[in-house]
Formats: sequence, C-alpha cells, structure tokens
Amino acid sequence: MIAPTLDIRDLRLTFSGLGGSVDVLHGISLSINREERVALVGESGSGKSVTARSVLGLLQSLRGTRISGDILFEGTNLESMDESRRRQLRGTRMSMIFQDPVSSLNPVYRIGVQFREVLARSNPGIDAAEARDRAAEILSEVSIGEPGRVLESFPFQLSGGMNQRVMIAMALVNEPALLVADEPGTALDVTVQDQTLRLMHRLVQEHRTSVLFISHNLGIVREFTDRLYVIYRGRIVEEGPTGSVFRAPGHPYTRALLAAVPRITRDEIPEFEADPGKFGAPKVVHGPAGNSA
Amino acid sequence: MRLERNMRSVCKLLAQRLAISLLVLAGVSVLVFAIARIIPGDPARIALGPNATAEQVQKLREQLHLDRPIWTQYGYFVRDLAEGDLGISLYTNRPVTTDIAQFLPATLELILVAGIFMIGFGLPLGIVSARYRGRAVDHIIRIVSLLGVSAPSFVWAVILMLLFAFFLPLFPIAGRISTDFEIDRATGFLLIDTLLVANYAAFGNALWHIVLPAFALALSGIGQAARLTRANMIETYGRPYIEMARSYGFPEWKIASRYAFRPSIIPSLTILGLDFAAMLGNAFLVEAIFAWPGLSRYGVTVILRKDLNAIVGTVLIISAAFLIANLIVDLLIAFLNPRIRYGQGSK
Ligand SMILES: Nc1ncnc2c1ncn2[C@@H]1O[C@H](COP(=O)(O)OP(=O)(O)OP(=O)(O)O)[C@@H](O)[C@H]1O
Ligand SMILES: [Mg+2]
Repeated sequence: MIAPTLDIRDLRLTFSGLGGSVDVLHGISLSINREERVALVGESGSGKSVTARSVLGLLQSLRGTRISGDILFEGTNLESMDESRRRQLRGTRMSMIFQDPVSSLNPVYRIGVQFREVLARSNPGIDAAEARDRAAEILSEVSIGEPGRVLESFPFQLSGGMNQRVMIAMALVNEPALLVADEPGTALDVTVQDQTLRLMHRLVQEHRTSVLFISHNLGIVREFTDRLYVIYRGRIVEEGPTGSVFRAPGHPYTRALLAAVPRITRDEIPEFEADPGKFGAPKVVHGPAGNSA
Repeated sequence: MRLERNMRSVCKLLAQRLAISLLVLAGVSVLVFAIARIIPGDPARIALGPNATAEQVQKLREQLHLDRPIWTQYGYFVRDLAEGDLGISLYTNRPVTTDIAQFLPATLELILVAGIFMIGFGLPLGIVSARYRGRAVDHIIRIVSLLGVSAPSFVWAVILMLLFAFFLPLFPIAGRISTDFEIDRATGFLLIDTLLVANYAAFGNALWHIVLPAFALALSGIGQAARLTRANMIETYGRPYIEMARSYGFPEWKIASRYAFRPSIIPSLTILGLDFAAMLGNAFLVEAIFAWPGLSRYGVTVILRKDLNAIVGTVLIISAAFLIANLIVDLLIAFLNPRIRYGQGSK
C-alpha cells in the first residue's frame, strides 16, 4: 500500500507565554492521499493556520510552542527528522500559498529573481537563462500572457490577482508532492479570488499535487475538494467526502457552518438561506455548536 | 524600456537633489559670509599685529575690499569663487584652496574610515541582535549600542585613548603615521598614497594610527546603526514575506542577510546618512584629542584670527561634503528601494 502524502496523527499544540499557556490543537488527525484535495474548514481561531504551519514545520522553531504527535510525509515522520533535513523538503517537496499575495512576495526583489531562488531550491546549479525559461513556462500555465514582463517586475507593480498567480506558479514550479494553501487570496476581491483559485485547481490537477486547502469559501471547497475536515476549537469534529458532508452534515457545528455561508458556485447567483433568522449566522457558529462540541 | 525609465527617474532624482544642494550652498555662503564679518574685530589689524601702522592696516583693508559695502564684497567673492579662488588666508599667507587641499584629506580619511566602521560593525550587530532576539547576545549588543549612543565621540576619544593607547599601549597615542615614514603626497589620503607607492609597512602603520580615532568617532554611529537595524529587522521579521521565505526552506542566514536585511535597511539609511554627516562636526574634537593633522586645527585657528577668507572657505567645503554625503545616501536609497526608483505605484 502506498503511504499517504500527508498523515497527521494526534497533533497537539500548546503556546506558552508570559500569561500562561493555551492549548490550541487537541489531537488533530488528518490524512491526505496521493493526488487528493482535502479541505480544512472551521471558524476563525479554530486552528486551521497553525495546523498548516505545523505541517511545513514553521512553528516548531518558535519559542514557547510545544508540539506533540506525528506528522508523516510520504511515510516519513517529519517530527523525528532533524531540522536541516526537514528544511530540505520545504520549497521542494512541499510548499505553501499564503493569504495575501502582495505582501507575501519580497518587495525589493524582482519576481524573476525570487523565482530563480525558488528554482534553485531543487536545482542549486540552475543558471539565469534556464531559470527564466522555466519560470516563464509555469507563468503561462497560470494564464499570464506576458511572462517576460512579469518576471521583470517588482510585486508592487503588479495587481493583486497577478501576484496571486505568481505565488501559485512559484509554489508549484518545483513539482511538490503537497501544496498547503491557507486561505489563498482572501485579501483579494471575490471575483479575482474565484478566478485564480480555478487556475490553481486546474494546475494541481495537471501536476497531480496533493492539496491541503483551507478556505472560508465553502462554494470553492465544495467544487474543488475531494474530502473535507471540519475543525472546531482545535478538534476535528467531522470528516468525510466533501459531497456527502455538504449533503448530510453530521455534526451540529458543521450544520451551523454550512448554513452560515452563502454558496457561491460558478455562474450562479449566490443563494441564501430563505430563513432570514439565520442570516446573521456567521457570528452565531460559536453559540449553538459550542454546547455540543 | 524598463531600464531606460529606471535611468530616467534616477537622473531626475539626481538633478533635483543637485539643484537643492546648490541652493543650500548658496544660502550657506551668504550666511557665513555675513557672520564672519559681523564678529567683532578688524581682520586686517589682527593679521598684521599690534605693531603695524594705521596706514599699513588701511592698505590691507583696501586690498581685501573691506572698505567696500558688504554686498560689493560678496560680489567679489562670488566672482572669485566662479574661478575656483577662495582668496588668500591671512593666517598662512597661502591660497585658502591650498590650505584646504592640505588639511581636508586627513579629515575625510578619518570620517570615511569611521563611516566604514559604522556600517561594518553597526549593521551586522543589528542583524545578529534581531535574529537572536531575547537571547544573551541580543542583550549584550543592546547594552553595548546603548553605551555607544549615550556618550559623545570626544568622550569616547578620551576613554579609548586612555584605555588602549595609554594603560594598554596597543595603539599609538597621536598622529597619522610614524615619523620614520616618508610618503610622497599624491591624494593626501595616507591609506591610498602608501598603497600607490606599494609601501605596505607604511600602510599598516597609517592603518594602525587611524583605528582609535576613527573608532571613537564611529562609536555612537555604530550604536545608532545597530539599534535602528535591530528595530527594523524585527519589524520585517513579522512580515508575511519572511514567513513565505521560511516556507520555501531558505536557510536562516540567508533569510536574515537577504530577505529581511534589504527591506530593513531602507528606513535606516536616511538616519545613518545624517549620522555620517554629523561626524564632520564631531571630527573636530576627536582630531584635537588625537592630534590628528586635519581641518580642525586649521578651522579653529582661522576663526580665532578672524581670517575671513579661510573661515568662509572652510565652512563652504564642510557644507559641500555634508551635501555630497546626503546625495550619496539618497542615491543609495533609490538603488535599494525599487518603489523610489520607479516612482511610487507606477504600473
Ligand atoms: N504564535 C502564536 N502564539 C500564541 N497563540 C497563537 C499563535 N498563533 C496562533 N495562536 C492562537 O491559536 C489559535 C488558532 O489560530 P489559527 O491562526 O490557526 O486560526 P485560524 O483557524 O487559522 O483562524 P483564521 O480563520 O482567522 O485564520 C488562535 O486562538 C490564535 O490566537
Ligand atoms: Mg488562519
């Protein structure tokens, strides 16, 4: 049997600081098979981003964090791996896309320069011309018409949507096995976000990349992911194939979550819950679900 | 096309700054010209001494146009300045330009080495401090840089001289170079002149002499640079692009020296440029303490003797050096910050 791309087992995370310590994750288990697109949804503060960052190993070096549990990547336990070997995997075998594309790219280097350094992560000897060609190639895959011009630009010279495409292309250029996307493009306006997420979806299908997809946009989640985990206050409360969870949510929190969000799907006007009483629901999710969780 | 626009905006910036600099210089010249003449005392009498006759004094006054109204004098000054002539110093009896050419290089050399110390020590200390924030190294660096900024450079000059030249004679106590060395003057910069004649022993000797005074001059700048760099680096470390760099597995030293450093240094540069320029003034006292044969002794003497041409010339040269330093900083910022190079927000 092939090992899953990602297998998180009983991940616990505690932040401790001057004001005492807070448990943020209480034993998360989550797995992503090869080429599988998995969503992690939950309200703000439920622990989605810290889960994503733990997978990449970005929290482990932070002072005051205590992590336990196992994170297996393609069958190897990352948590028992030494830091430099784990770092080798980042940017080559796994990569991440962030929320705000404009501020996630370095403001003082040209896109082309940043691309080359990313390419050098998996091919240290790559020369400028080769890097340029490869970068231009993947940029055209995300429908960037003038890759040459974009490579010559600084991030502030491009639109948000353009930066987002650049970030998607950068994350996939080294053909990672796993892409972690933490609310990609939430900082962008909805139509641009929708457009770029579609591009991302097409690209990961073509490149057969496994994806951990974190989003508030349940319309996109429903459309693009195979399986779904619902996280609530640091615990997974529901898990299953996306379609069936949407059709028949088992956990009351999931029901509240699904009811709270207007569904936006392609070419459709958002449909809202008919019952106006539930309309303010985004703020309510804590309430009714809290008792049962 | 992009390169061309880049060049054009840099040229525009340069032209703008040059024009402003020239205006400032003109203003300084008027001011110092007037002030030098308002200080009480008759320059001709001071120059000729108490034994000169009233006729001799009157003759010198006429020669110097001191009998004319002040704006006529200024007219003569501007006319001569256009030909690169700053007049004759009454103190040395030589053209002021010759005097300045003799004394300025020693001062500039001191300031440049101090500037190199400021950058070479201050920035790395700030980077290390930010990178190991909250650890022992950070605390040590912060204390040291606070010490550096908390005392003026002439105090440091005295302390360093006592510690490392007197009690612990590691460095020479005074001067630019030992008297055993005869170096032909080409640029006036000893560190360059000794290399030009390939006299490495003399180069080493000059270097050995410059370490303490330059360090004394640089200490507050080092402290300032370290503190600024630390603060800006810490701010930069909180930015999303640093987390993104980490997510791509770049090693920490590379993130510090490349991804975090350059965005962090941009806001510090203006202040560091001012610090650097402030060294021009501080150098006067440090030179006096280390008997450094620079512009300071000349400057002080000519002021005391009311040597009009020399005062005006010295002040003008120092202002020009100040403006050039600022110009260089502005260009450096434009080079480091693409937003300035391309004009904010252009697409
Ligand atoms: N570095 C940190 N130190 C202390 N607490 C933290 C830290 N990072 C996150 N937390 C806490 O951990 C919890 C989970 O945060 P996380 O960012 O994972 O939420 P999220 O699910 O991504 O929310 P959102 O949808 O708003 O992005 C929050 O309560 C947050 O305050
Ligand atoms: Mg988050």
